[in-house]
Amino acid sequence: MSTPEATATPTLPPQGAAILETNHLTKQFGGLTAVDGVSFRVPERSIVSIIGPNGAGKTTFFNMLTGLYKPTLGSVVFDGKNVTTKRPDQITALGVARTFQNIRLFGTMSAVENVLVGQHARLRASVFGSIFRTPRVRHEERDAQVKAREVLTYVGVDKRRHDDAASFLSYGDQRRVEIARALASDPKLLLLDEPTAGMNPQESEGLTQFMRKLRDDRELAILLIEHDMKVVMGVSEQVTVLDHGEKIAEGEPMKVRNDPKVVEAYLGKQG
Amino acid sequence: MESASIPARPPRARGEVVREFVSKYGLIAILLILPVAYGIQDLQDDGDLSRLATNIKDGLSNGAIWALIAVGYTLVYGIIELINFAHGDLFMLGSFVAFSMIGTVGLTVSSSFVPLVFGLLLILVVCMVACGTLNTMIERVAYRPLRDAPKLAPLITAVGFSFILQNVGLLWLGGGHRGVPDLIESQDVLFTILGVPITHGDILAVVVTVPLFFFMINFINFSRIGRAMRATAQDPQAARLMGINVDTTISFTFLLGGLMAGAAGLIYALYQTDVWFFSGFTAGLIAFTAAVMGGIGNLKGAILGGLIIGIIQQISDNRIGTEWTPAIVFAYLVLILVFRPQGLIGEQTREAG
Amino acid sequence: MSTLTTRARTFKPPSRIGKVSTSTIIAAAAIFVAAVLPFFYDSGSGFMNDATVALVYVVMALGLNIVVGFAGLLDLGYVAFFAIGAYTMGWLGSGFFNSADIHIGVAEQLQSQPGIHINWLIVMPIAAVGAAALGALLGFPTLRLRGDYIAIVTLAFGEIIGRIAVNSDEGVFGIGDFNLTNGRSGITPVDKIDIPLVDRFTTLNLRPWYWTALALALVVLFINFRLRDSRIGRAWIAIREDEVAAISMGIPTVRVKLLAYAMGAAMGGAAGTFLGSFYNVVNADQFEFSFSIFVLAMIILGGLGSIWGVVVGAIALSFINTRLIPDVLNDVPSRIGLDFDLTQLGFGIFGFLLVIMMVLRPQGLIPEKRHQAELTGGGLDGGEETVVEARA
Repeated sequence: MSTPEATATPTLPPQGAAILETNHLTKQFGGLTAVDGVSFRVPERSIVSIIGPNGAGKTTFFNMLTGLYKPTLGSVVFDGKNVTTKRPDQITALGVARTFQNIRLFGTMSAVENVLVGQHARLRASVFGSIFRTPRVRHEERDAQVKAREVLTYVGVDKRRHDDAASFLSYGDQRRVEIARALASDPKLLLLDEPTAGMNPQESEGLTQFMRKLRDDRELAILLIEHDMKVVMGVSEQVTVLDHGEKIAEGEPMKVRNDPKVVEAYLGKQG
Repeated sequence: MESASIPARPPRARGEVVREFVSKYGLIAILLILPVAYGIQDLQDDGDLSRLATNIKDGLSNGAIWALIAVGYTLVYGIIELINFAHGDLFMLGSFVAFSMIGTVGLTVSSSFVPLVFGLLLILVVCMVACGTLNTMIERVAYRPLRDAPKLAPLITAVGFSFILQNVGLLWLGGGHRGVPDLIESQDVLFTILGVPITHGDILAVVVTVPLFFFMINFINFSRIGRAMRATAQDPQAARLMGINVDTTISFTFLLGGLMAGAAGLIYALYQTDVWFFSGFTAGLIAFTAAVMGGIGNLKGAILGGLIIGIIQQISDNRIGTEWTPAIVFAYLVLILVFRPQGLIGEQTREAG
Repeated sequence: MSTLTTRARTFKPPSRIGKVSTSTIIAAAAIFVAAVLPFFYDSGSGFMNDATVALVYVVMALGLNIVVGFAGLLDLGYVAFFAIGAYTMGWLGSGFFNSADIHIGVAEQLQSQPGIHINWLIVMPIAAVGAAALGALLGFPTLRLRGDYIAIVTLAFGEIIGRIAVNSDEGVFGIGDFNLTNGRSGITPVDKIDIPLVDRFTTLNLRPWYWTALALALVVLFINFRLRDSRIGRAWIAIREDEVAAISMGIPTVRVKLLAYAMGAAMGGAAGTFLGSFYNVVNADQFEFSFSIFVLAMIILGGLGSIWGVVVGAIALSFINTRLIPDVLNDVPSRIGLDFDLTQLGFGIFGFLLVIMMVLRPQGLIPEKRHQAELTGGGLDGGEETVVEARA
């Protein structure tokens, strides 16, 4: 097993231009403050992890980034545009894509169809064009099909599984299809919510390498929520720690790991 | 592009509070439009509000009936999130049982007071038990097997049972309205308060429904089964883990709802002196509107909603015309569901997704 | 307890004979049979009447299928669009507004008649567009609601429209005194459909009616197939499956849902114009809640979301309603010694069928390959081929 230090190779210093920036982002549900004034940035073409104990507000934070929740306070700026009040589909069209903590594939659709849905924002077929199957729509569909299968192969789904109904795929394949679906919209920022949940160490390592490949091949920024420290330490250029909705630490992985506040958050006060 | 630090916006929390305020008082305002408009008209025409007050009084009596039916809807929806389409038709059958029992027991307009009271009490029990049992049976046959199915399935089954029950009514007493002997002389005025005549029918409505409401509220809040019902409504899994028999609890809920519908059927038969096989459809939609208006899943809300809808219905019947009343009530239903689905006193319901 | 093994693991390429898939061959054969059917029956016979009505119901069922089957929106108020279509035909193709004097594209005989007389070929698209607009309008309030509330709101809308139909012989909601619908007496007579170069449409010769209905059905069928396999069709199914995931994938759910309502409504409206003319009367009694359930039952019976299933369901229920119950089964009770008219039981039988269907075979006769998995419990658990138990 390689040590974290040996595999952590940040390719860009975190001071690059930010693809995503939040400012005092807050979410209150009635009396409960789930996310409290988190200011945060993701540099372009980087891999950033958000970690924190359960209930720290990580998924709520994600949901605000993608527009599923409207922030109570604060703002989100993506690629230079203020997206705080934008709808999720608008944010996706701008270049943010995500996967979910509990896999949310369209179970009765095939893997290819799932990925085709992922391309929805990039396709232009109108009702009229679809009914009359104009040449433009025909070409677009054909290209979309080809691209869908390419992406599926790229993420590692065997060709023979491409037309299987998603709910009958293996767990590992389902996770891959979810990523393929997210990639289908040609995002600039990929949000992965606990992508290694349920994976064994070899699979996690495979995913880690895959994330680096993604970042380099497609010039993507990747923002992860993760619990697996090996993955976090191994792939992140920047780690942000949330606890009880607040950001308590941020920086390079090793620095964060040794931060006493972080240790305390996970393990409780020492004596 | 380096993005400059963007100042935090003014507290959006205030926005949530404002929206809540606006929707609640907006709903109340919309509910008040009809009474206020006609109140002003009355002051201009008659110089006093006695006509409006009578409308309101009549509305409350009618509303008590809707409230009883609404209780059935709200309890069932609260516990299994099913709109029991057949519930209104259950009420209709309750009124039919009342009609038949009146004949069987031999009560007539010339019966004297004591046998009348005992006879009606007996009929009340029979109606309640009949409807309660029927509701429980329907649950067992039609809804329990579909508890895990997508929502469309039990909804369709409920509609199917609604049709079946309507057909039973049609075969039982035919397609026309049937007159019920005016046993309690429902239109006779007992006394008058502030220019508002209080009739026998009003007394009946109050005398039967108030104890039932009282019983229901206390039962739900303080009895073991009531607690089980509330627990199952909140979280069936957790309830099961606490040792609550969810199936029995749900059956019991249907039983209670059915009991209320049966009682409503008897009151309706005596108050309106009329039963009709199609009365359940409209009654059901009106009562469902009442349940939603009060806050679906909320018992007190159902009662409150029933009374309010009764008033609106009465004003509409009296001033605009009975043929338009269903449309007006449904319009209110749409407004509530769209702008304030949690009703007057319910909690914020989950939105789609 | 019976066991159902879900077969929908892989969408295998369709079986073929030569270059053409078997399902295409079956479809072509069915269409051919439908086209030549009239030659085997008297042109004025009851069968032709029932068959024509069945085809119109196919159109309606396909329309509702887009809303409920594809997009998963529980619409219980579909009757509203039938009403809009029928009344549009009544207003624009009869002597109802007898003070007007508009004639567009109509034959000699009608040119001199008072009222508004516009050719059905023009009225039909107008009604479709009008219904689509109404559909989007009615759909708009339902967008943020959960499934069963959508059902109730659409039901309420259907009822409101129905009440307006019944009561609008003197103003609407008590305002004004304009006779909009003539209430229960309705609008009659209604102009017959008139297609240039085709024989006159009369009550005696039903063949032109039948073929027009068939043409309409085929057009709508075509539209459905194209839409289902397109970007918008996938969007609808995605929304049906998981709205949160759908919107996160970039699907503008509001627009897409409204489109579903609009398309479904347009088809209902178009069908409505045909029936308005075919029945020669448009009156409020035709627009009751039970109609919405009737159409819904067709698509459930046939298989929600399954296009051919819906066609079969529509034809089946239509014929049961017009033939089986009144003609075939009606003497059953008396033959076994009971004394009632079976048509009186129509309602109850229908309700009973609904219950049986949902409890025993909710996926319908010809399930949509996808929906079968959904309704019989195929879940996202990454399992091997799942053996699923049907409910007892």
